[in-house]
Order: sequence, then structure tokens, then C-alpha cells
Amino acid sequence: MAIQRGAIELAGLTKSYDGVTPVVQGVNLKIPDGAYCCFLGPSGCGKTTILRMIAGHEDPTDGEILIGGENVVGLPPVERGTAMMFQSYALFPHLSVRDNIAFALRVRGQDKAERYRLTDAMIEKVRLTELRDRLPGQLSGGQQQRVALARAAITEPRVLLLDEPLSALDEQLRIQMRSELRRMQRELGITFIHVTHSQLEAIALADIVVVMEKGQIKQSGAARDVYAAPKDRYVAEFLGGQNVFSGRVGTVNGDRIVLQASEMKQVAIPLCGARVKQGDAIDVAVRRDDINLLRPGATLAGDTSSLASRVMGIEYQGNFVKVMLDPVGSDEFVAYVPERTFFHDPLDIGDVVMAAWPADHARLLA
Amino acid sequence: MSAAPAAMPAAKTHAKRRAIAPSKGRRPWTFYALTALFVFYVLALYGPMICIYILSFQDVRGGLVFPMKGFSLHWFVDLFTQVRTGDVKGAFSRSIKLAILVTAITVVVSFLSAMAFRRRFPGDNIVFALMIGSLVAPGLVLGIGVGLMFNFLGIDTSWWGSALGAQLSWTLPFGVLVMFAVMSRFNPAWEEAAYDLGATRWQTIRLVIVPVLAPGLVAVALFGFTLSYDEFARTLQTAGPQNTLPLEIWSMTMNVTSPSLYALGTVTTVISFLVIGISLGTIVLMQKRRGQRAPMH
Amino acid sequence: MRLSKPVVSWLYVAPLVLVLIPFFVVPIVVVLIASVFDTDGFGGLIPTFTLSNYLNVFTSTLTFNLYYETIKFTVLTWIFTLLLGFFIAYYLVFHVKNQLLAIGLFLLCTVPFWTSNIIRMISWIPLLGKEGLINTALIKIGLIHEPLGFLLYSSFAVVVAYVHQLTIFMIVPIFNSMVRIDKRVIEAAVDAGASRFDILRLIVIPLSKSGIALGTIFVVAIVMGDFFVTKVMSGGGSASVVGAFYEDIGVLQYPGAAASAVVLTVILMTSVALILRTVDIRKEITS
Repeated sequence: MAIQRGAIELAGLTKSYDGVTPVVQGVNLKIPDGAYCCFLGPSGCGKTTILRMIAGHEDPTDGEILIGGENVVGLPPVERGTAMMFQSYALFPHLSVRDNIAFALRVRGQDKAERYRLTDAMIEKVRLTELRDRLPGQLSGGQQQRVALARAAITEPRVLLLDEPLSALDEQLRIQMRSELRRMQRELGITFIHVTHSQLEAIALADIVVVMEKGQIKQSGAARDVYAAPKDRYVAEFLGGQNVFSGRVGTVNGDRIVLQASEMKQVAIPLCGARVKQGDAIDVAVRRDDINLLRPGATLAGDTSSLASRVMGIEYQGNFVKVMLDPVGSDEFVAYVPERTFFHDPLDIGDVVMAAWPADHARLLA
Repeated sequence: MSAAPAAMPAAKTHAKRRAIAPSKGRRPWTFYALTALFVFYVLALYGPMICIYILSFQDVRGGLVFPMKGFSLHWFVDLFTQVRTGDVKGAFSRSIKLAILVTAITVVVSFLSAMAFRRRFPGDNIVFALMIGSLVAPGLVLGIGVGLMFNFLGIDTSWWGSALGAQLSWTLPFGVLVMFAVMSRFNPAWEEAAYDLGATRWQTIRLVIVPVLAPGLVAVALFGFTLSYDEFARTLQTAGPQNTLPLEIWSMTMNVTSPSLYALGTVTTVISFLVIGISLGTIVLMQKRRGQRAPMH
Repeated sequence: MRLSKPVVSWLYVAPLVLVLIPFFVVPIVVVLIASVFDTDGFGGLIPTFTLSNYLNVFTSTLTFNLYYETIKFTVLTWIFTLLLGFFIAYYLVFHVKNQLLAIGLFLLCTVPFWTSNIIRMISWIPLLGKEGLINTALIKIGLIHEPLGFLLYSSFAVVVAYVHQLTIFMIVPIFNSMVRIDKRVIEAAVDAGASRFDILRLIVIPLSKSGIALGTIFVVAIVMGDFFVTKVMSGGGSASVVGAFYEDIGVLQYPGAAASAVVLTVILMTSVALILRTVDIRKEITS
């Protein structure tokens, strides 16, 4: 096929309810066919509105939505080839599992025998055969999610839109259903667009993560790129796992810069082609798991940045230990120390330490 | 200076005296006082009604007060056969027909109105104000107005015309308010899900909205039926030459001083209870069949 | 075809409007018009504009007494229904621990609402009459020697009948507001050392306000618009505004009656509008 049927393109997509304040503001994005894409952001950032506009439950104020190369703005949901899985699923409370899933076929006027044949096949696929005649109210959260998925999938959509699909579930089930979603996506081979406020969920699932703030895309790309190489402070802080320091450029030294503040003398930041001059305000990100905590006086390996600090708090996390250090300016400073490393020479609150990391691993943010 | 420290312990003991201690399985005195009040209320609510039901079963010697004189169905026979008591049979059948008509219209119109009121639309406050006005307007005044209007237009008043309209001006606001409460439990995502799956507006109403709201619609029907069946003030000047049941009872209170009146009370209450029983039974059955309520967030 | 949202809303609400206009708006306008017409004294209306009907309403001591009586019954009924309704709702919500039982008892209170009001009123006659159950019982136990006359066909009987009919209109909305009070709020107040009375005064009453307002609207509107109970239960001793209106209509005095009706309706609507300022019914019902 020349045009990939499940490919999505958003061009200048804008939505405003009152004509003044935009909820979504000039969003441009391309999602290839068959990708798993996560929109990530805090509540109110416009991610759900984008999803609803793609689904056809809301009309954009401006801009285009292309699915498979065709502009679908103005088309009713059913003609777009999308299907939506609603937050808390919106299963019809008066219909059995089977009739919920068969709903789309029923309204298309398919006869009963054929309808149930197709439905039962789908029920098989999501492993709900024993619960076929139950009502939604009699199902657990995970079972409800599978019904919702099956109900949406039976329309054979080219794009499945999922609005906070895991938020109604408790912690353990959420992780289990997360992998089930990914499995279904592979099996169906269609584009999934998943809206969430959980960075864990997004990076675990997505081929493409789209980080949003105030109706705009902050960064989009492969999960690992966005996590490991956040573009700015917002993305770094929202995805977590990073320490972000702000400061002013002291000296530019070839492809390295050193910050002005005196306690940061031992911190060098690779420039990576960015153009800054002395005195510019900059943000620097250092991954929390890149930081080594050393006792004072320990020798540092070559090309290491370091910062003298003090242990302010310790939280045991299971596979690692979260060590809260003396804040740098007003910025939180945290190290994730592997559990075994930490307990080899346990630190105590108040201990003076040297926080060190390979100089190359620090990142200059936009 | 010394006043403040001295005040503290005083406040403390004060608080101690008034504060509620954790109950040791014993109920507070207010429980017993309010239980007594509740029992008194229920007795006063049902007691008098039960009295007239009992008194309606007296024999021919029966009077309007206790003690009970004999036991028979005399006054029920009397009710439906005597000329003196008017056309009770006709009034019954008219009232029931009218109530069914009012119920049907109330359910449909209230449902449609509640659909509209789910979101704001230009002029919604005016419609709402009209509705509340219609609900609280003095019924007799409204009834006279309707009567005069029909007079001006040269149309005869009748129970199935002017009275029907006058009753709707009372049952519809009630019905819509009840529908508001019912609708508030309707998750709009159900409707969107139906559209998403390709249902038309009509299919969505028929296959999703109405079935989900069915118990609430039965409740609206119960309101519609009983409010019409017992309506008096608005019907008085609009029913035309043929009385409805409450009008018949009204004229009986003016000129019948036999237990026939009580017999009529018993019969009409039996019908009311039948309607209430059927409605509540239907609602309970529907809820039961639906099992646990689907979670809504 | 895709209709715009306001058009769809108006289509949905159209049947309601099509009933309310001919059966609420027009009749009220008709009464309003009749109130400024003259009468030929035989039921005919002379279409000339006059305010004399209103002048009569405002200057006659008879009408003043009617309004006084009507407002007296309204206030008395309101006080008793409010007290009963509030404490019964309070009892059901906060004292009956078993939820199923509470709902059952609540239904027990509401069932008579769906039965005939007239019959419920008449049913007091065998109890309150001179030879009624209460008098007989009181004489039997020797508390009184003569039957108490004030029990039936008196203001007392009128208030009893109103309270009997209308307490339900208080119980339902107040119960509805109280059920929504988070029980943890009360526990927090107990933790803070509040007495039972403090909790009632500072938490329960403020949070039940909207229910009280809603109940008040119903009770006030019904009592002020009623004539039936006053007529029957007072034995003719008391009259009411609407009762006098009915009598006037009976003798074909349309304009005078209409003027009085307009005044009453204005008073009633103003009271309701004032109460509605304190509570958003739509929000109250739908949340």
C-alpha cells in the first residue's frame, strides 16, 4: 500500500473552547503506521483533547488531522477508522460482555448469528470466554479493560485511541495490563495512541513518547531518547531520573563549559555544539543513576565532575537506594545508588560525601 | 498575666464534659429520642389512613367515627351503586385513563427535556425558570386561567383536553426535576462510546440511553401517574362536565357523610399502592438484573 | 446532516416549552388581563383598563385578614415540617447504621406521598372529631371530662393536615443533602472535641442548607396555593387567599378574584425567587 493506512499526521492542530485561551496550540506531529505512541503530560495539558479530536468527539478550532493521508476533520467517528477506549472504559452497564463487544456490529445491522460468531472469536482472543454473559458491574477492573479493548478492536480500526487506560487499576494490575496492551498492539498490528500522566507507563510502552505542556509538544521521540536526552528542564523533570541544576556559564573551554558558582568548579559540561557565552543562564541535567557517592579523600577517576555534598535523607527502594543530598542552590540533588553498592559501605544522614559522575554524561539543556 | 494559664485547664475540663466519648457499643441518648420521634411520625403518617380503611368495612349502621359497627362490604357496594355518591365508576375510569395519558407524555417529554438540559444552551435559564414557575404557581389560579383561555378560544373544557394540559403543567416540572437526578448518574462517555462504535443518534438513544436510564424512567412514570391521579386544584376548573376521581371525592366531602367516603378512600389507596408496588418492584427487578452498578468515575 | 448543538438542545426541550406556554404562560397572562378589566357583575368582562380591582385588594380589611391567615398557616406549617423533616432525615442518615434499613425507612416515609392527599386529610376526621379516637381515649383515661373542641374544624386541624401532607417535601431534599455529608468530616469534628450540638450547628445544618431551601420552596408554594385543606379542616372558620378566590369565581367576580390571584402569585414567585438565590437547584439535584 502506498499510503500507510494507520499513519497519523497532526498539522497546526489547535483547540480553544472560549475562542481566547487555547487548550491545544499548534501541534504538529507524525506518527507512523503501527506505532505505539504515548502522549505524556500532567492533567490539563491538552493531551486528552488531542485524543478526542483524533477520535472525532471534538472538532479542532484550527489545523488538520490526517489519518492514512486523508484529512478526517469533520468526519463522524465511525468514518475515521478510529476506535476509542475510554477512561474507566464506559462499558454499557446494561449489556453483557458479549453484547458490549457486539455493539458496533449490532448498530451496523449485522445479523445475529454472524455478529455473535465474530464477537465470540474476539472474546476468545481477549480470554473472556467464561465471563461472556456477565454484566460489566460483575467484572474486575482488569476484566473490564479487556472488554473495553475487545469492544474497540472489533470495529477493526486503523487507530486505537486509549484515554488513561490503566488509571482505573491498582498498582500490580496496572503493570500486568500494561504488557497485555503491548501484546494486543503487536497482535493487531495497528497504531495505538495512548494518553497517560505516568512517565513509567509511557516509557515502558511507547515507541514514540510525546511530552506535552500547556497545549504544546515539548519533546517527542523514541522513549529512550526522551528519557536519556531530555531537551529542557520541563521534560527532564517530568520524566524524572535526572538532577537539573541551573547556573551561569563561567568559562567556555573548547567543547566544555564550567559554571560560575564556586562550589561547581569541578563540574564540566560538554557543549555538544551548543552556542553559549560567558554569563548565560543555563540548565544542566545529570542522571541520578550516573552519580557515584564517594567518601571524602577518595581518588577520582580521570575526566570526572564532582561536587562536595552531604547526605540529607536516605530512602530504600528495593533494587536501589535513593540518597537525598544537600540541594544545589534551589535544585533538588539526588543519587540513585545500586543496592549492593550502597550497603557495601552504608552512608548515614549527615555524612559528607563527594558526588561524582563521568563529565561526558552531563547534558546541557535548552 | 495569670488569667491565661488559669483559663486553660478550665477550657479543658469544659471540653471534656461536652466532647463525645467513643461509644462503648452504647447508643447516645439522641438515638432514643429521635427513634421515638420517628416512630411517632410514622404512626401519625399511617395511623389515620389505616383508621379510615378499617372504618370503611363497617356494616349499614356504620358512622364516621369509631367504634366500629359491624363488618361488611356494604359501603363499597353503596359507593358504586348509589346515585347519591355520584358517578364514581365513571370518575375512576376517567382518572385512570387521564393518568395513563399524563404518564406517557410526562415520561417522554421529561426524558427529552433532560437530554437538552445536560449541557447549557442559549435560553436554558428561561426554560428552567418557566418550569419552576409552573411548579410553584397556585394550582387553582392556573386552572382558572386555563379555563378562561379555553373560554376565550371557544373550546369546551374537558378532562382529556384542558385538564390534561393543566395537569401536565404540574407533572412535567416534577418529571424533569426527577430526570435531572436520574441523568446525573448517566456517564456521558457511554453516549460517546456508542457514537464511537458507529451508532446513530437514534440508535444511541434506543440501545444505550433509554435502557440505562430505564429504572429512572419508571420512577418518572410513577410520579406522573400518581400526581395526575391525585391532582385536584388544577383540574377543578378545567375538567369540564365530567369529574375526575379527586373532584368526586371533593364533592363527596361536601355532601356525603357516610362511610362511603371512606370506602372510596380505601379503593383509591389500593390503586395507588398497586401503582407504587408495581413501579418500585420493576425498579428493584431492573437493578437486580443489572447486578452491581457499573463503576462510574 | 449535523445540527448545531443549541439547535439539538432546543429540539429536545421543544415539547416541554410547547406545554408550558399554553398551560402556564398564557393562563397566567389571561388572569393578569382579567385583573385589570371591569365586570358587569354577571360574569361578563368589560375590556377597559382599570386598577380598581387592585385598589380593592389592597384596601379591604377582609383581604388583609385572608393574607394574614394564609401567611400564618404557611409559617406554622413551615416550622413544623422543617423541624420534623430535619430531625427525621438526621435520624435516618446519622443514627440508622444499617444502610439498607435506612433506605427502607426512608421509603416508608415517602410512600404516602404517592397516595391521595384528600384522602389523607379526610382520614384525620375519625381521629380528631368530638367523638373521635383521641377525645374518646382522653375521656376514658380521665384526663378530660368534656371532648376537646379545638381538635377538629380549627386552625389546629389545618396545621395538622398540612404537616401530615407536606413533611415529606422536607424529608426528601434534606435527607438528600445529608447523605452527601462525608462521615469523616463529622469524625474530624469529634476528634477536635466538638459536642453533638456543635456538630449539628457547625456542620450538619450548614451542609443541609440547600435541602432545607428546596423543601421550603415546596412547602411554601403548596400551602400558599392551597385552599382545600383550610376549607375542610377549619370547618369554614378560616379562609385562605385562594379559597376566597374560589368563592369569587363561584359568584362570577372574575376581575376581583384575578387581582387577588395576581398579588398572591407575585408574593409567591418573589419568595421562591429569593430562596432560589441561596440554592442552585440544578446543581443540587444533579451532583
